[in-house]
Amino acid sequence: MKGMTRREFLKMSGGVALAAAGAWLAACAPTPTPTSAPKPTVAAPTAPAVPTVAKPTGKLSVYSALNETTNNEFVKAFKAAYSGVEVDLLPMAAAGELQTRIRTEKASPKADVFIGGSSEFHDALGKENLLEAYKSPNAAIVNANFKEATGLWTGWYIGIFGFVYNTDRFGKEMANVKKPTTWDDLLDAAWKGKLAYPDPIKTGGGFIFMATQIFRFNKDEDKAMDYMKKLHANIAQYTGTATQVIQLVSQGQFIGGLNWAHDILTTKAQGLPIDLIVPEMTGFEIGAVSIVKGGPNLGAAKAFVDWVLTKEAGELNVKLSNRGSVRPEVAPAPGAPTLDKVKLVQYDRQWASDNKDRILKKWQAAVGM
Amino acid sequence: MRRISREPSVVITLAILVGLMFAFIIYPQVQVVLVPGLGGYVSFLAEQTWVKPFFNSLQVMLLSTTTAVVLGFIYAYAMVYSKMPFKPFFRIIGVLPLLSPPFVVAASYILLFGPRGMISYYVFGQSPNILGLGGLWGVQTIAFFPFAYQLIADVLARSDARMEQAARNLGAGPWNVFRTITLPMARPGLLAAILTTAIYIVEDFGNPALIAGQFTVLPTQAYGLISGFGDVTGAAVVSTILLLLALALYVAKTRIEGQRSYVTISGRAGTIPRPPVPTVVNVFCFVACSLLAILILMVYGVLLVSAVVEVFPVKWGLTSKHFEFLTSNITPLQNTLVYGTIAAIICAMFAMLLGFLVQRREWRGKRIVDFIAIMPAAIPGIFFGIGYATAFNQRWLDWIDRGALITISMIFWNIPVGYQAAIAGLQQIDRSLDDAATSLGAGSLRAFRDILLPMLDGALLTGFVTAFVRAVTTLSVVIFLFTPSTTVATIKIFQLVNDFMWGGATAFTVSVVGVAVLVLVIVWTISGRRVGLQRTG
Repeated sequence: MKGMTRREFLKMSGGVALAAAGAWLAACAPTPTPTSAPKPTVAAPTAPAVPTVAKPTGKLSVYSALNETTNNEFVKAFKAAYSGVEVDLLPMAAAGELQTRIRTEKASPKADVFIGGSSEFHDALGKENLLEAYKSPNAAIVNANFKEATGLWTGWYIGIFGFVYNTDRFGKEMANVKKPTTWDDLLDAAWKGKLAYPDPIKTGGGFIFMATQIFRFNKDEDKAMDYMKKLHANIAQYTGTATQVIQLVSQGQFIGGLNWAHDILTTKAQGLPIDLIVPEMTGFEIGAVSIVKGGPNLGAAKAFVDWVLTKEAGELNVKLSNRGSVRPEVAPAPGAPTLDKVKLVQYDRQWASDNKDRILKKWQAAVGM
Repeated sequence: MRRISREPSVVITLAILVGLMFAFIIYPQVQVVLVPGLGGYVSFLAEQTWVKPFFNSLQVMLLSTTTAVVLGFIYAYAMVYSKMPFKPFFRIIGVLPLLSPPFVVAASYILLFGPRGMISYYVFGQSPNILGLGGLWGVQTIAFFPFAYQLIADVLARSDARMEQAARNLGAGPWNVFRTITLPMARPGLLAAILTTAIYIVEDFGNPALIAGQFTVLPTQAYGLISGFGDVTGAAVVSTILLLLALALYVAKTRIEGQRSYVTISGRAGTIPRPPVPTVVNVFCFVACSLLAILILMVYGVLLVSAVVEVFPVKWGLTSKHFEFLTSNITPLQNTLVYGTIAAIICAMFAMLLGFLVQRREWRGKRIVDFIAIMPAAIPGIFFGIGYATAFNQRWLDWIDRGALITISMIFWNIPVGYQAAIAGLQQIDRSLDDAATSLGAGSLRAFRDILLPMLDGALLTGFVTAFVRAVTTLSVVIFLFTPSTTVATIKIFQLVNDFMWGGATAFTVSVVGVAVLVLVIVWTISGRRVGLQRTG
């Protein structure tokens, strides 16, 4: 963000959720300015990496929506940096479950930190006054679009929505079909009965894809529903969980599917015959970290948030989970979509969650499900 | 029917049982029902996103219950009446589907019978899209026939062979005996089996989540609202709809159940062998059970193979790394066994005592307690868990050990299983037996302990076994309760599946199933030696 004029900076923060930072931002930022834009905070170019507060001690309870290996390595690395803290980490893959759990525990909070999962999950808790506002010194470098203005949550990674396909079956059965580079390419009749899509009614990712289509058509819902209807003709299966799409495609049950880019790359790394494509104008999530209000160990919670926002943690997360860091200096994972090359829609998170039920109902009517 | 007011010990026992049920079933569930508030109910119901899942739930319930009960009856008949060989083997096969942790087994069906399934495509060249109603119907039939089988087998085993012998001696053919004696005598068990199976099918979440695809049912919608959108309000409304559905099933059951007496144990000695069934029936039983066994073994075979190869079905090199992963993460497996065993023992005893007080004694509010006892079966597990997390996560209750809370949740979530078995068993024991004991001066509780309990060993065992397997395979009940040190195996499996670690997930699954089978075999062996359990074939 160095070397950016104030004017450019303001424009950039105006675009609601123009993901990412650095060079990419400068290229894509000049776009209309919706009203729900967060206020820009003044970014301090150099943030202190180590906080000046007293060394935290005791037990830290972390609720994590990250994957197993990332959890293990994070606990190890954090303990190395803060030797006085013991970490009790409770993993759960679905962020909505952690969110629900934090809600149900509000009479006697058991968690100090909630890490991972799209910012919507953290934001809802913040609005219910269940989070402790904390502006980490290390968050100063994070783009204002990626954090809550008062510090209720801070974004620290970006997940991008992409397309997974089975390389074996695609090569054999669809040799004369071009690889999709836009979402419209998926309407090709050659894909009929070959695609899997996480059910938007039951999965966050499936809904983000549908909302992405609405934003792609500048909130023209009729055009978006028309697209969804045409796409419906090619979909063999709407799956009950998001991860199942990748499983089915990697088994060759279906040839293509819609899913998170980082999960696709993680599965591919096991040697399964799949690959990732990121069509242009795609959607994304901001992975957040937040502190639970009234948790047992606030001091250690702040230290953990500070640490998560360091370059070291960002690099570790990129390496282990294939997601992108919000810190511009952290290089993306090999094969991962780099933010400067991916075209993202202006994803209006507030609008999407406010209109969720209405859109889903409209979609059900459109596709007759 | 005896009134209880003259026996203080019975009144106290009853008060304690009912008090516990209010504390651990009603109170947590009320927390959930109240979540949406009136406005929440009105606005969610008005959106009508629940209508389709509601009818889908009904549809799959009707289809799967029918096939599961038919299959369960055939299996039970084969086990109790026929002379087919390898019965101990079939007995284990008959409970194997109960031992399947969610997420994993349905995935195995897709690997076998999906569009590129190992059997469907690579053997038969077909590409069936089994995700949807068809696949769900099939998987639910296999997954839930064991409930029907367990309940029906217990009833069949208790039916009096003398009546059948008498009918045969008087000239009735085997088919006539079956139609006019065996079937009518099995009626209470059949009804209990149908009701129980229907409620479990309509409440099940794990299988529809993986195999139903866009065929959304109420539990998957409730779960999706929470996991995908954090919408507890909507999910609570959906859960309440499910509860009402269960209430309807219950009312239907009480109305269908006639006033006929099914007494078949009179207490007088004399166990005559059952009349032999025709050879053709023996052969049919053996073939039907074998086909089912082959299918079930294939499904579990896929899991076993997945646990010992690198990456199934791509890299076939043998490896022990998945089991090494398991042994370095052994705590969840230990927790599962400890919690499950304790919960199952307490649950079976509790349900039996309650069944006795409801079925044999007269007191005010009995029907309500009867309903509360089967209600947990109708509560989606995820809401049972959320209810517990909300109700018992209070500062003044923080001294309660989480492992204990998880065990308590398993006990009360599984009450319906033991309770149904207890009622079905009690209905077949002549009241004159325990009445004789009380006339001779024994208290109600002593009559229960000394006279009825020994005769109810089959029902007690059914309660224990089913509570145990449900406790060790439940995911949704504990997902809001576990802490890092009280993680159970199903939670671990769920996380591994979500992290695309199929090998590790199957290693855990195989171990859970293996240890559970071991426990069951031990229980059967011990109890079989002592009381001659189900030695009726």
